[in-house]
Amino acid sequence: MPRDDATLDLFAAPEPSDAPDGAADPPEAASEAGSAPPAEPEPQREVWTVSQVNRAVRNLLEGQLPALWVSGEVANWKRAGSGHRYFTLKDENAQIRAVMWRSDASRLPVDPDDGMEVRVQGSLTLYEARGEYQLVVRQLEAAGAEGLWRIAFEKLRARLDAEGLLAPERKRPIPRFPRTVGVVTSTTGAALRDILSVIRRRAPWTRVLVMGTRVQGEGAALEVAHAVRTLGRSGRVDVLIVGRGGGSIEDLWAFNEEPVARAVAQCPVPVISAVGHEVDVTISDLVADLRAPTPSAAGEAAVVDGAAVQDYLSAVPTRLAAGLTARVASRRRAVDEGLPRLRRAVQRLVEPRRDQAVRLRERMGRALAMAVERRRRRADVGPRLHRAMAVAVDRRRQRLAGLAGRLQALSPLSTLERGYAVPLTRDGRVLRTTEDFTPGRSFVLRVTDGRIDCEAGAVHPDGDDPFTASKESIHE
Amino acid sequence: MSDTPGADAPQSDEPGLERRLKRLEAILAALEADELELEKALALFEEGVGHVRSAERILAETELRVEELLGDDGRTRPLDGDEAS
Repeated sequence: MPRDDATLDLFAAPEPSDAPDGAADPPEAASEAGSAPPAEPEPQREVWTVSQVNRAVRNLLEGQLPALWVSGEVANWKRAGSGHRYFTLKDENAQIRAVMWRSDASRLPVDPDDGMEVRVQGSLTLYEARGEYQLVVRQLEAAGAEGLWRIAFEKLRARLDAEGLLAPERKRPIPRFPRTVGVVTSTTGAALRDILSVIRRRAPWTRVLVMGTRVQGEGAALEVAHAVRTLGRSGRVDVLIVGRGGGSIEDLWAFNEEPVARAVAQCPVPVISAVGHEVDVTISDLVADLRAPTPSAAGEAAVVDGAAVQDYLSAVPTRLAAGLTARVASRRRAVDEGLPRLRRAVQRLVEPRRDQAVRLRERMGRALAMAVERRRRRADVGPRLHRAMAVAVDRRRQRLAGLAGRLQALSPLSTLERGYAVPLTRDGRVLRTTEDFTPGRSFVLRVTDGRIDCEAGAVHPDGDDPFTASKESIHE
Repeated sequence: MSDTPGADAPQSDEPGLERRLKRLEAILAALEADELELEKALALFEEGVGHVRSAERILAETELRVEELLGDDGRTRPLDGDEAS
């Protein structure tokens, strides 16, 4: 192992008795040149300064050992005001001083806690001012799957959860037919391409407003958070998609940072979060109103498929017409029920007045025949309506313009054409029963081609004296 | 859509799909409940047909419009769909 050689050299060098021949330079020259320390003993005892020793040892340490991976337990973790981290790495029997400079430490998702088992990668050096050797750590990983990332994730999740920001009842519904979809992602990434492609296919009438950001690296989280706030408050979007395509946990990290989480939680419009692949779950996903497994899925969640809307719309005119048809049918039922009552009333009239019976029967017969004929004609309306409906149903997938035109034939105006009339008040309310009339009341009779101003004569509710009730009906 | 930043037209006040479809549902519910006066029913029928026509017109749009928001001041520029595809 190189370490053994180095150690041998290290401790061999300052020993004058064991020093190899040939190095005649004075100590000052040797240290300035940064080469191995002088080893040639002079006749008198050679004296090194402390600095010379430390410099020499440092050079040996740095020159001889490659970068190492070292596992151990973190102790005395200290974050200095400068941003550098100082700590001790130890096992049961030994310890090493370690330092992590700010630039490297800033890549840590979270500082490790004392007592945590970690693996570090770094190089050995000597801190000359103290004569302590130390490990300059470039990377630090906690043991276990995803290590510190997982720990940082859980810490932030716990904090947001405690604030209630992850609660299911906070989730807002995603609008089904947004006019404008906001998208926060990289304008050059595959995520945007996927989202646009889905929206273009499903709902090309939708508008898309993109705010481009970096989605990884230093400062990406702040950019994403800012874009979420800006688009969310712009008043221009109905729903927001935030996300990026797949990558390593470090690549996705911006979406696990607190600024993004808070911006998403406070966004005035519903947010769909789509970060990475299906297996990647980020804090942004948890805070958002909806988590989509991929950017494409986010596009699908944001807009309804136009074909489904078209199917729905195609069925609507038929349903509208059916509503009107049902109303006409209910009116016909009312007429059908009224006719037998009229007939009974007439019979009651005839019984006590035999002397008028013949004449009355004759006239009554005519009146009844007419009434029955009218009724049959009305009864014919049903089949005709249904045939028309069947035609409408059969062709409902045709263009709407044609459909609506045919449906017009089913409107109440056509019913009026067939001989119905509707009494209305002057302000358009339908007068349904005798209670709505008083003698002398003026009203409007709506017939197929216009209106007639009318005035009510006597009012005869059914059940009045049969004679007077029937008199006007028959003796007309 | 405009090439000039800041000249973005405001959204029209014309009701969108969401409102039209909601209104259609309300109209259908009223018509199917059969408690309406005849003239009211006719008016609803005609309104409903109008919403269907308008919604179909919205659906007939085939060109996806994509814009990029350039900053806090609301300026936008068209983002060619092909640019990102």
